[in-house]
Amino acid sequence: MIDSFPFDEWNLEEITAFWTFGPGNSTGTYVLTVLGIAVMVGALIGWVWLENKKLSAQAALLRAAGGMPAPGGVPPGPGPSQPPLAGPSTRPGD
Amino acid sequence: MASLLAQAVEDQLSLDSAILAEQFYFYTVVVMWLIHVGFMAYEGGASRRKNVMSTAMKNILTIAVVTPSFYYFGWYIYGCFQHGGPAEGHAGPAEFPGFCGATAPWSDAMGPNLQDHISAVFFLAFLLFSWTTGSIMSGAVIERIRLSAYLILTTLLGSAVWIMDAAWGWSSGGWLVTNYGFHDSIASLVVHGVAGAFALGVLLNLGPRIGKYDREGRTRTFRGHNTHLTLMGLLLIFTGFYGFYAACLVIQSTIQPGWLNIYLSPTTLGSIAFVITVGFAGGFTGGWFASKGDPFWTLSGGLAGVISVSAGADVYHPSLAYILAASGGMVAVWSGLWIERKLRVDDAVGAVAVHGVCGFYGVFLVGIFAGGYPTGVNNVESSFGGQLMGMLAFFPLAFLPGFIVSWLLKKANLLRVPPEVELEGLDMAEFQADFFPEFERVPETIVLPTGEEVESAPVLLEAFADVNGHRPGVAVGDERRLR
Repeated sequence: MIDSFPFDEWNLEEITAFWTFGPGNSTGTYVLTVLGIAVMVGALIGWVWLENKKLSAQAALLRAAGGMPAPGGVPPGPGPSQPPLAGPSTRPGD
Repeated sequence: MASLLAQAVEDQLSLDSAILAEQFYFYTVVVMWLIHVGFMAYEGGASRRKNVMSTAMKNILTIAVVTPSFYYFGWYIYGCFQHGGPAEGHAGPAEFPGFCGATAPWSDAMGPNLQDHISAVFFLAFLLFSWTTGSIMSGAVIERIRLSAYLILTTLLGSAVWIMDAAWGWSSGGWLVTNYGFHDSIASLVVHGVAGAFALGVLLNLGPRIGKYDREGRTRTFRGHNTHLTLMGLLLIFTGFYGFYAACLVIQSTIQPGWLNIYLSPTTLGSIAFVITVGFAGGFTGGWFASKGDPFWTLSGGLAGVISVSAGADVYHPSLAYILAASGGMVAVWSGLWIERKLRVDDAVGAVAVHGVCGFYGVFLVGIFAGGYPTGVNNVESSFGGQLMGMLAFFPLAFLPGFIVSWLLKKANLLRVPPEVELEGLDMAEFQADFFPEFERVPETIVLPTGEEVESAPVLLEAFADVNGHRPGVAVGDERRLR
C-alpha cells in the first residue's frame, strides 16, 4: 500500500464510497444518475428548440429579401453575413 | 513461508496484469479519437464552403450526446440484453447478476473504484465504438439535415441500435452467437453494416440536396471545398482503426495465448494487425481500379476493404484478406455509384456503400471462407446459415429505427433545414459567419451530368423552383405570372 495515505483509517470500499457519493446502488448514485439524465434530455430539447428558432429567423429573412442581398450589396442575414453562394446574389444585377 | 511468497507473487502478477489491461484499453481510446478527428476533416472537406462549420459541428456534438446516453442506457443494453430481451431479475438493483449488474450507471463498476481497473476503460473503448457508429451516418446527411435532428438520430444509433445488435451478435453470450455461431470478430456488420442500414433509412426521408439530380433524374456532382482535407481525414480514420481493432480484443496476459477475440476465442494482436494492413492495401487497389483512379473512391476503397475483412480478421490468412479486401474495394465503388445513380439516394460521402454494403459483405464472406470455426461460449461453429441469420436480424434492427424516427422528424418539420437556408448555406443560419474570411469568395460550381463544370447559382435556383414550385422569395402565384 502507498504509505502517504491513511489506509489504516480508510479501506478501499470507503474510499470508493466517498468518491461516488455513497457505494454503488445507493441513494447518492441514484440521485446523480437521475440528475445526469435530466441534463442530457434537457440539452437535446434545447438543441431542437434553439436551432428551430435560428433556422426560422434566417429563412424568414431570406424570403423577405427574395433570397438576394438588399440593394447596395447589404446581405439579408444578421451579423457579418456574406452574400449567399447559391443564388444570383453573388452578382447583383445579373 | 513458501505459500505466503507464492501468494504474494500471485497477487503482484494479478495487479500487474490488471494494470496492463487498464493501460492497453486506455491507449486504444486515445488512438480511436483520431477516427473522430478524421471524420470531421473528411466530411468538412467534402462539404461546400458555406456548410463547413455545420458539418464539423455535427461530428463534435456527436460526442456530446452519445457519451451521456451511452453511459446511462447503452452500456446497460449491452450488458443485459444479450439473450434478446432484458435479463431476468434486472428490475431491482440488488438482483443484478454478473456483468449485467456492472453495466447499470449506479453500479460500483461505473464510477471511480480502487478495486476495479477494467470496467471503466472497457466501457470507454465501447463508448468510442459508439461514437464511430454514430459518426458513420453523419457524412451521408451533410448539407441539409438539421443539427438537432442529427443529434437525436445519432443518439438513437450510437446508444441504442448498434449496442443492441452488439449484445446479440458481438458478445460471447449473445443469442446469435450461442445459438447460430454468428462470427463478426472486428465488427464488419455490428458497427459498419448497421450504421449504413440506419443511414439508408434516414436518407430515404431526408431526400437529396437541392440540385443533386436534374429533371431527368441524372446526377450532378457538388464540388467539396477541400479534397485534400477529405483525403487527410480518411488517413486519420485509418490510423484510428488500429486502435479500434486492438480494442476489439480481450487482453488476458496471464493465460496463453494472452489475447481473445470478443467471443473469447484465442487470437493475437499481430494476427489482426496483419489483416487490417493488407486490408487497406487490397482495398486501395480495388477502389482504384473500379473507379478508374478516382482519388475519393480509391481512399474510400481502402476503408471498404478493411470493413470487408473485419468480420474474419481473427482467422484470415493475410493473402486471403488481401484478395477479399480488393473485392470489397470494388464492391464499394460499384454499389456507391448504383445507389447514387439508380436508387437516386444522395449519400454525400458514400457511407451506405462503404460501411453498409461492405459491412454486410464482410459477414457474408466469413460464411464462405471461415465456416466451421468455434465461436462463442457454446463453441458453435460459424456457418453460412449463421451469418445469414445475423444479416436477417440486423438489417431491420438498424433500418427501421432510422426510417421511422426520421419520418417522424420529417412530419414535425424538424428533419431538414428550410430550402432557402440550404441554398444560402447552413453556416450563415447556424453561426452567422463565413469561416474562411481571409479568402475571396468565388462563385460556387457544380458538375453537370455531361461532365461540364458550371457556376451553380442558376442550376440550384432552377432546382429550388422545381422542388418548391417557386423561386426563393417569390410567391407561388407570382411565379406563375413570371413564367
